[in-house]
Amino acid sequence: MKFKGFLTDNGVYLLEKRILHALEKTGKIWHIYITETHLSFLHNLLNGDGIQSVAQFRKQALFDEYRFSSQNDAIAFSIDLSLLQRALRSIIATAGTDDGNKYEMKLVKKLAPHSHQALPFLTFETQGYKSAVIQDVPISKPLSRPDLLELQTALQTAQVIPTCLVQLSDMNQLQSFVDRMKHVGDALNVSISKYGDLHLQISTTLITLGAEFRKLLVLGEKADMPVGDGDSTAQTRMQRAVLRGDATSVQVSVKHFFKSLQCHLAKPDCAYFGIVNQGSCLTVIFDFFIPGTRLRDNAISLYCRLPVLDPGSS
Amino acid sequence: MSSSLAEAPDLICQLDSVQGVVDSLTAVRWKRHQDAVIEISEHGIVLIVEETTCLQAKVYLKRELFVKYEYGAEGRPRFGVSLGLFVDCLNTFCVPSRSNSIEIRYPGPDMQLLLKSIDSSNSCIYADIRTRIPETVSWDYNFEPAGNPLNFTVKSAALKEAIDDLEWPGSSILLTLQPTPPSVIFKGEGHGDLQIDLMYYSNTGLLLAFNCDRLVSHRYKYKFLRATTSNIPSSVIRENRGSKLSIGRGGMLKVQHLFSVARPSLPHPHIDTASYQQPSRIAYIEFFVKPEINEEAANDVN
Repeated sequence: MKFKGFLTDNGVYLLEKRILHALEKTGKIWHIYITETHLSFLHNLLNGDGIQSVAQFRKQALFDEYRFSSQNDAIAFSIDLSLLQRALRSIIATAGTDDGNKYEMKLVKKLAPHSHQALPFLTFETQGYKSAVIQDVPISKPLSRPDLLELQTALQTAQVIPTCLVQLSDMNQLQSFVDRMKHVGDALNVSISKYGDLHLQISTTLITLGAEFRKLLVLGEKADMPVGDGDSTAQTRMQRAVLRGDATSVQVSVKHFFKSLQCHLAKPDCAYFGIVNQGSCLTVIFDFFIPGTRLRDNAISLYCRLPVLDPGSS
Repeated sequence: MSSSLAEAPDLICQLDSVQGVVDSLTAVRWKRHQDAVIEISEHGIVLIVEETTCLQAKVYLKRELFVKYEYGAEGRPRFGVSLGLFVDCLNTFCVPSRSNSIEIRYPGPDMQLLLKSIDSSNSCIYADIRTRIPETVSWDYNFEPAGNPLNFTVKSAALKEAIDDLEWPGSSILLTLQPTPPSVIFKGEGHGDLQIDLMYYSNTGLLLAFNCDRLVSHRYKYKFLRATTSNIPSSVIRENRGSKLSIGRGGMLKVQHLFSVARPSLPHPHIDTASYQQPSRIAYIEFFVKPEINEEAANDVN
């Protein structure tokens, strides 16, 4: 089981300035999952409840040299994201601002201080002008084969793409809205229609508070809004669409929803919302464009899955 | 929505600065769960909150604050809402760096208060707030001047600072107005003594106005005095307008604040905003604090 790679300048900045900053808001402990072609950060995938997050990178997005070998086709271990962030910050500071720095990242086993047992570390090494800095980030033991299989299955499930996705580009507005909305209630109804409507609603005995975003870009299954529906209220419109089978509605925790929007800190270019398998979970996908274009950058994918609340439990 | 209603609602109004209203209502939110009574009339909307018949606050949102104000009721409809919920809900309509125009409508099909954003056709925020029949007819805090007016106007920030500073001495604050030398004295006695003097002559920038022809002195519970300034949003304190304090018959203290409800820094299509402050776009906030019943301080000391 071996892993060693050299992060590029862009790779280090992408991780430190954008991705980790956002991931850290979702959770502290993550799995790093390394394969021949990809390096991924996975959160909460082995857990049924709570928000699940995946950030996946093609090796070229982060590394210029990448050596990987394992009998299991993959290596996975858990890591404290704040420690990883500190290590990256430190190596960026050491390397300075020149281009073409080499940031080595590798898996090692070392004797920790006051210990007789060799422990696993994710080690970062960088050459400064006059010094070299090595950061050892403690990690868990690599996952055993059965655990790894479980993680792989969970990842495959998480990769299921909803049949209908709506695109939202003004994430700031949504984020500030949900931030304020979470004072009002705990359970959020999210409805997505094939007409390109996204409808959020909190309903308690004292108040119903909702927001509707219309005429969004739809990916996947589309439908035209029936004539005359445009004039009714947001609630009626969505109820009719659900009855017609043109929309799906789920209830999720406002806190989870807000957490998923924190991925906005990674500065994605747009976000997609979709409901998987007729309401088993809500998926939020964040897309990055290739710099300077409007083309999707397939080397990076970032998405969250929000568990659906049992309607009876709210 | 109006088509489903048999007759015209009591009120349809539109507002282009939600933030100003949120600020005004936040100023009277001195605890987590507060019931408020809203009264609608042809002159505007008044929101009233009370605490154990010792403290009352009123927020006046005059019809001039609204872009549109259609009043169709007879009498003055009154209804109860949870203040916290109402403020939190209004706050969701404030999207930073955008104009936030909303429409308020009462009553809905089930006597709700209906709100919706009206500034974009492709996104819309809406809310239905359940209203209650107000439980008690709120006791009117009749404020009557006792003889010649006794009042002073002080910079809001200075007033807030003074009241904040009075926290440590204890539960009861003696407020004295005296004509010679013209000054206002806050004195806290409890765990220790603290006296704050606002002298009219020595600091003209602090006391903007002072009317007092006789010595008067009353005690107020600190927590009620604190409620009159502690929840004013910092953005409003920074604006630092004056707050007017008057003492009326029986020592009733009236604290008045003025909040600007104009749209901040958004260019107005018709009027140059640089030096412009529409006088009508002000929300009035009044607190009435009853004095503590105490033999030595109950009567004016002459």
